[in-house]
Amino acid sequence: MAPSRALYTSSRTAIRRLQPLGLQQQRRCISAYGYEQAKCLVIDKLGEPKDVLRLHGHSISPPHGDLLTVRFLASPINPADINQIQGVYPTKPTFTKDLGTSEPIAVGGNEGVAEVIAKGGNVKGIERGDWVIMKKQGFGTWRTHAQTTADNLMPIRNKDGLKAEQVGTVSVNPMTAYRMLKDFVDLKPGEWFIQNGANSGVGRAAIQLGRLWGYKSINVVRKRESGMEELKNDLKSLGADVVVTDEEVESKEFRDQVKELTNGGREPVRLGMNCVGGKLVNSMAKHLAPSSHMVTYGAMSKQPVSLPTGLLIFKNISFDGFWVSRWSNENPEQKEACVTEVLDMTRQGKFRDIPMQPIKWDYNTKQEELVNAVQGTLEGFRSGKGIFVFGKT
Amino acid sequence: MPPSRALPALLRTVLRSTNPSLSFHHHHQTRLLSAYGYEQAKVLGLTSLGEPKDVLKLHSHSISPPHGDALTLRFLASPINPADINQIQGVYPTKPTFTTTLGTAEPLAVGGNEGVAEVIAKGGNVKGVEKGDWVIMRKQGFGTWRTHAQTTMDDLVVIKDREGLKPEQVGTVSVNPMTAYRMLKDFVTMKEGDWFIQNGANSGVGRAAIQLGRLWGLKSINIVRKRDSRMEELKQELQGLGADVVVTDDEVESKGFRDQVKEITNGGREDIRLGLNCVGGSIVNSMAKQLASGGHIVTYGAMSKKPVSLPTGLLIFKDIHFDGFWVSRWSEKHPVEKEACVKEVLDLTRQGKFKDVPMDAVKWEYRTKQEELVKAVQGTLEGYRSGKGIFVFGET
Repeated sequence: MAPSRALYTSSRTAIRRLQPLGLQQQRRCISAYGYEQAKCLVIDKLGEPKDVLRLHGHSISPPHGDLLTVRFLASPINPADINQIQGVYPTKPTFTKDLGTSEPIAVGGNEGVAEVIAKGGNVKGIERGDWVIMKKQGFGTWRTHAQTTADNLMPIRNKDGLKAEQVGTVSVNPMTAYRMLKDFVDLKPGEWFIQNGANSGVGRAAIQLGRLWGYKSINVVRKRESGMEELKNDLKSLGADVVVTDEEVESKEFRDQVKELTNGGREPVRLGMNCVGGKLVNSMAKHLAPSSHMVTYGAMSKQPVSLPTGLLIFKNISFDGFWVSRWSNENPEQKEACVTEVLDMTRQGKFRDIPMQPIKWDYNTKQEELVNAVQGTLEGFRSGKGIFVFGKT
Repeated sequence: MPPSRALPALLRTVLRSTNPSLSFHHHHQTRLLSAYGYEQAKVLGLTSLGEPKDVLKLHSHSISPPHGDALTLRFLASPINPADINQIQGVYPTKPTFTTTLGTAEPLAVGGNEGVAEVIAKGGNVKGVEKGDWVIMRKQGFGTWRTHAQTTMDDLVVIKDREGLKPEQVGTVSVNPMTAYRMLKDFVTMKEGDWFIQNGANSGVGRAAIQLGRLWGLKSINIVRKRDSRMEELKQELQGLGADVVVTDDEVESKGFRDQVKEITNGGREDIRLGLNCVGGSIVNSMAKQLASGGHIVTYGAMSKKPVSLPTGLLIFKDIHFDGFWVSRWSEKHPVEKEACVKEVLDLTRQGKFKDVPMDAVKWEYRTKQEELVKAVQGTLEGYRSGKGIFVFGET
């Protein structure tokens, strides 16, 4: 260990022994001289997470002027984060040499919530103890601490009654569901939308927002060997009107099933949401009313979307895409308003966050555990969203 | 021949031989009088769906003099559009209009959806149109491959000013030029200097889009099928109409196309904001890749019959929108606008600013045989034709 770190570490150890463990969530361990020892999960080149991610430690000096130091509380692992690392995403991770490396490195993760633990003299509008989320993608959120300016952050004005995991997962999935339900078709209460990936973060958000706004939903999930009934009940309790499997949708009988559901076809299905791709999308599009939209926001099957020309021409179905990062960048004020709205609903118990599989990240957590957690999100049929929950850092 | 037809035919022959002014030169100005005001009409129709050569037949029927709201029309020109063929084949969402009012035991539908006709007689209650006026069909489904028809004003749109216009021009204004017009206007707000890219550029819609685009200050990249001979002539012809750039499908799907486009668009400083597609298949992906973020690709046909398979990134990250356009739907929803647009295009045509497509005219006269007419329809299914198939009615 380098000499300077030895001193801090021994000071920290000394101070830790003086504080009971029960208070560890409320009281921060004071580092000597105000320097934070941060750790981040980084890459220096693109590739498979298990091959390129590593844990890197660096020092953060006390903030002056416009700077703030934040300590992360919760950072999820979203599919886009993985794609970015793999190099199959249009934006690359933010490579930098500011973290004490000779080669540029980039911190993984684009979404998360952090607590302000120190601020420079010129920082206005944010106080120590405030919770903040990232204004844009590309920040790098798989880290214990960071130093930045207020430009990159969005303060959470009211964090009462909210958990870090909830605030840390509001920016990507709920925002995606919100805008797709609002920005493409003017849905009226009583009208239907159909979506695949219904059990995902976006899917569950769409079910709930749809229910709150009076829309009805047909929800498509992958057929599974076991747990199908439980999943249906789970989604219905969130507000799903109908839950069907991909196999049912692609079957000949589905047309009659939809007719029945929609009061003999009198209630139109005016919006489709797709994150899967492949022929399922065509099967879904067949049930859309004329002049509807099919909005694509993901490609989990990695198959392309096949455009059914007849539906485009004769039924006037439009195919669009939605990228929450673009929307957030172009509409920062609206994003802040939407985030506040969803957090208010969460606080009131009207919007439930998704089942999660938290990975505890403390100061001593090893690289292998963290990297395995990221790689693990690539498996299917998981019980919850992978999310780093920061403990004693 | 049945007795009723014999008499009018005899009179017609008599009138022809005794009246020297009724020579071929005048046949489009002077109408041959039918006895008792009955018209002997012929229609190219079908009683079942299938391949044109298998199901189309020539059928004759009598049209009585019109009373009340009815008018009798004599067709002047009716084109053969791909949608007409698809309708006969049964691969179109709307079926031809089957009827037993034409004197058949089985319901019969007349082929063709577009055409121009002349009013030759009208009933006492008909207002807004006079004998000699030209009319086009208000909607699809009328059945225009016929020499005469009787109908009401509801089905027709009057051409208020036909000075300086040929029937071929008026008979082909409703489908192709309207499609080009609306696709250029209704999906993206194009500004002068903006580019659009289209395939099927040598088609009726394609050539209309080139010309309207030129008139409105838009620039176009035009894709045509590669051909062994006469490629240069085709390029020059389209450039003569106003095409800025003409490329082949091979060039578009090659690796070098991106650089080519960059060069054409002033180093990429000029945006390609709109794509028009009637072909389908992988060429659409190549076109979509050249569009600026937020652009639209509008599909109005599927001549290759191949589906369009999109890499999801184009939808999500490039924000490319894929829409369809069906001129029949637009026409039905916007009858007033359609009439205005038709008039606008006909005015441009009159002024020589809009040229109609090269045509392969098929003369249809009283004596024209079924075989010739059916072959003409089936023939439009071949590729690389020299012109659009269109029935031009002579002495009927």
